Amino acid sequence: MENIGSNSILNSPKYKAVAYGMLFIVCLLLPKIITNMYYLGIINYIILYTILCMGLNLILGYAGLLSFGHAAFYGLGGYTTAILIKRYGFSFLPCPLLSGVVALLFGILLGLPTRKVRGDYFCLLTIAFGEIFRLVAQAWIGFTNGAMGIVGIPIPSILGWSIRTEADFYYLGLILLAFTYITISLLIHSRFGRAFIAIREDELAASVMGINTAIYKIIVFAIGCFYAGLAGSYLAVYQTTVTPSNFRLEESCLMIIMVIVGGMGSLLAPVAGGIVMTLATEYFRSISEYRMLIIGVIMVAVLLYRPQGIFGTSAFKD
Amino acid sequence: MSLLTAKTIQKKFGGVIALNDVSLTVDKGEIVGMIGPNGSGKTTFINNLSGLYAPTKGQFIFNDEDITGLPAHVITGKGISRTFQNLRVFPNITVLENILIGLHCRIDTSLWDVYARFLKTRRVEHQAKKKAMTVLELAELSDSQGILAKNLPYGKQRLLEICRAIVSDPYLLLLDEPCAGMNPVEMDDLADFIKLLQTKGITVFVIEHNMRFIMSVAQRLIVLANGSKFQEGTPTQIQNDKDVQAIYLGDEGDL
Repeated sequence: MENIGSNSILNSPKYKAVAYGMLFIVCLLLPKIITNMYYLGIINYIILYTILCMGLNLILGYAGLLSFGHAAFYGLGGYTTAILIKRYGFSFLPCPLLSGVVALLFGILLGLPTRKVRGDYFCLLTIAFGEIFRLVAQAWIGFTNGAMGIVGIPIPSILGWSIRTEADFYYLGLILLAFTYITISLLIHSRFGRAFIAIREDELAASVMGINTAIYKIIVFAIGCFYAGLAGSYLAVYQTTVTPSNFRLEESCLMIIMVIVGGMGSLLAPVAGGIVMTLATEYFRSISEYRMLIIGVIMVAVLLYRPQGIFGTSAFKD
Repeated sequence: MSLLTAKTIQKKFGGVIALNDVSLTVDKGEIVGMIGPNGSGKTTFINNLSGLYAPTKGQFIFNDEDITGLPAHVITGKGISRTFQNLRVFPNITVLENILIGLHCRIDTSLWDVYARFLKTRRVEHQAKKKAMTVLELAELSDSQGILAKNLPYGKQRLLEICRAIVSDPYLLLLDEPCAGMNPVEMDDLADFIKLLQTKGITVFVIEHNMRFIMSVAQRLIVLANGSKFQEGTPTQIQNDKDVQAIYLGDEGDL
């Protein structure tokens, strides 16, 4: 399968192997280069948001389903890990997976209405789900400790590796990110990935191609939510607290903006979106609530001058 | 031996009867044309057959199996592919990816295969690409495989849509006005291509307004008028049929 431009050095497998190798080494050594805890902390948040956005990109970028409920699945993962560790004395090791599975199951539940509810109405449904989740987390004091949230989640350790410093969390994040990237890449480069794209492009035509669009929409939504749960689990141990205010609608909006800015429907685009938007929110932290204004400006600028996003392939509702 | 039998198909939309008692058969290896004035129910017939609607009454028997009212994706799996009257290629992905989506129902990768048996999945994908390329070569589109579908010229997009439908090796191909918007040269190419498909063993059912095209392609014509089957015969019979002329042009008395 020779593509156009295959003569360029960039596409030769040797070059790719070297490039990936270098990237891998840089990623491994990063905490040795950047020793400032504050900067490393920002990088950890970038990793966290990149995982979230990769999941959302599956839903929004590949399958074209607009979900404003991603923060709720993120929260489900966070609370699952927090409650499992604090209340039931679980070790950290199974928690990311279990948190992902909880988010996945709720994703299936919320994905079920996609059979009947389409487009904007589905979007409204996801907003409702996000709000319901947050209100339940706030009100169910016996289980979630209400608005105070669950605090004092102990330092996680995996097989004797105690994760306490920023650098440790960096490596934990990197492992989760690599897992996310590899699994999503496998999915996208199979008939499933193509089916999701077909649904985004033209649902009716997709069904005539033999794609069971109802099932595939549930699959993509649930799998996207799985990664949100994974990220939530990371947040819980990294922040050592989870509160309902971590998972507000604004968080969902921020993730959507990241995906749009990075570029929808491209595997690496969420990385770009995550980096740009996390740095922007950090940089403008001093002006507190006004920073959402600046984030809005960035998004409008991207939509005006590069509607497909930094790396994206498909323009938003072209 | 008949591949498809439609028995007294009726479709009502509320009080409107779009199709009324349409019965027809399509034999293996044929090219059957369906003509009729606007609003006579041709597209509705295809939509019922391909599972986008369920008929109100009647039965579709395909390969000795009742497929009436099955969902579209199941019907595609049974070997009926179609194209659309208003072009429906997937615009923002490449030509090759379009074709690969057409192969969806012939790839049996499960989610388990995706994650746990990824080497097998990769092999399957490789075979799928090979298969897609042979179809692109057949239609002389292989040079454009890496181009976004929306950037193809219009006539080629039409061709791509047909390729996407035939890559899954269907028994029956439904074409809904395939040469709408084409120029005469593109039309002749398309006619040749459809005849080529026939030699590959695909049965073709084609709706078309363009008489020159349908006369050159179809071996048998079915005329639909006001939702009912009006006439059936060879192209020359239909061409010389006074009643058919009347529904298209009006009676002599009307003038």
